[in-house]
Amino acid sequence: MQGNQQQAYDRGITIFSPDGRLYQVEYAREAVKRGSASLGIRTADGVVLAADRQTRSPLIEEESIEKIHEVDDHAGIASAGHVADARQLIDFARRQAQVEQLRYEELIGIETLTKRVTDHIQQYTQTGGARPFGVALLIGGIEDGEPRLFEADPSGTPYEWQAVAIGGGRDDIQKHLEDEYDPEMDLASGITLALEALAAADDDLQPESVHLATVDAETERFETLSTEELEEYAKEADLGGEDDE
Amino acid sequence: MNNETQNPYEPELGSFENVDEQGETVTKTGTTTVGISTDDGVVIGTDRRASLGGRFVSNKNVTKVQQIHPTAALTLVGSVGGAQSFIRTLRSEANLYETRRGEPMSTHALATLAGNFARGGPFFAINPILGGVDEDGSHVYSIDPAGGVMKDDYTVTGSGMQLAHGALEGEYDESMSLEEAESLAARAVQAASERDTGSGNGLVIATVTEDGVEIEKYDDATELI
Repeated sequence: MQGNQQQAYDRGITIFSPDGRLYQVEYAREAVKRGSASLGIRTADGVVLAADRQTRSPLIEEESIEKIHEVDDHAGIASAGHVADARQLIDFARRQAQVEQLRYEELIGIETLTKRVTDHIQQYTQTGGARPFGVALLIGGIEDGEPRLFEADPSGTPYEWQAVAIGGGRDDIQKHLEDEYDPEMDLASGITLALEALAAADDDLQPESVHLATVDAETERFETLSTEELEEYAKEADLGGEDDE
Repeated sequence: MNNETQNPYEPELGSFENVDEQGETVTKTGTTTVGISTDDGVVIGTDRRASLGGRFVSNKNVTKVQQIHPTAALTLVGSVGGAQSFIRTLRSEANLYETRRGEPMSTHALATLAGNFARGGPFFAINPILGGVDEDGSHVYSIDPAGGVMKDDYTVTGSGMQLAHGALEGEYDESMSLEEAESLAARAVQAASERDTGSGNGLVIATVTEDGVEIEKYDDATELI
């Protein structure tokens, strides 16, 4: 009886531990670490979102592994953690982007979009019977002509970044980004840095397993790069891939 | 949870109630309201008369243009109760938007929101002009009772609109200064006040610039012409 009561705080989502922690939220962060990595880089003329798709078998269709998602023409989201949880948040974000159009006839700002999503996530840390989202998101896009990049974690806290990684191998990727990031870099250099950073956590990174999208400040369009384009950048970055062919 | 259930066409605070449209006992503005955009800002001119059934002047000192945003103003045209409620609703929405996002709503966003509310709300027979200044310059919109939103260089609404349009047509020039626009707005309101029974009792001029909104009352249009 006594033992049960003492442990209850790591079961109920709405219960603080005696030292003020929400264990279910911390466990959700662990779920994010179990996912494959995603990263975001804000460059002078656009945002890069990239992810390493983990494949369980060579027979799986790579395209079906969803890591990077278009939210609206000018915004995208990269995820790490539970894909099914991410899908719910992505759809929420897509609907919020359209609500902004219905209400104001304007493109939703990236900061506003992020805060809508994080406020939504937060509600799942304070509602009885709910479970937090086991996913972290990187929300990137163009707002008033400027590239913006935000992170949303399972607690529902928004953070803005110049460059950031989430998911498994995060520490190695983040270290690489911290060493190599230059705020003046252009979009092409950002793509190269993204591939190098992902390779920092995966020695055998293959261009075909990378999912990479950009939102260019000029066009304000979300675009996914093809495997052929990624191979070109991989060559430039002097990464593996072509050796095996 | 909260954001999901929010109807994009309704105000976030309060709700649209079912109010029956009332007849002649309701105070109407009658009104002539004029909006003119210039490079330096927007001028809005209105008369000051409220009337009952178009036959009795119920108030001779109404300010029919009000600030709803740091750099935007809206006119009261039609049912006074509907127009006042409309203004309160838009003002609170504009305030929420700005405090949440750290920047004010653009004039176009405000016009879209106003159109959505006019279309879905219980405001009835309102036909306001919205004048605003933002990063993209000066803007004048007219909003009709069914939620139609139309942008123009200059526009007029209210019972005296045809008379005021007559005074404006051919006189507007897109290179005119704010002072010239004030004078033109005064002439247009004055012309309508002379012949339209729903308009009169002096005028109010609002100037909207990037620095804010200023509203001045005048007993006689000659003070400006």
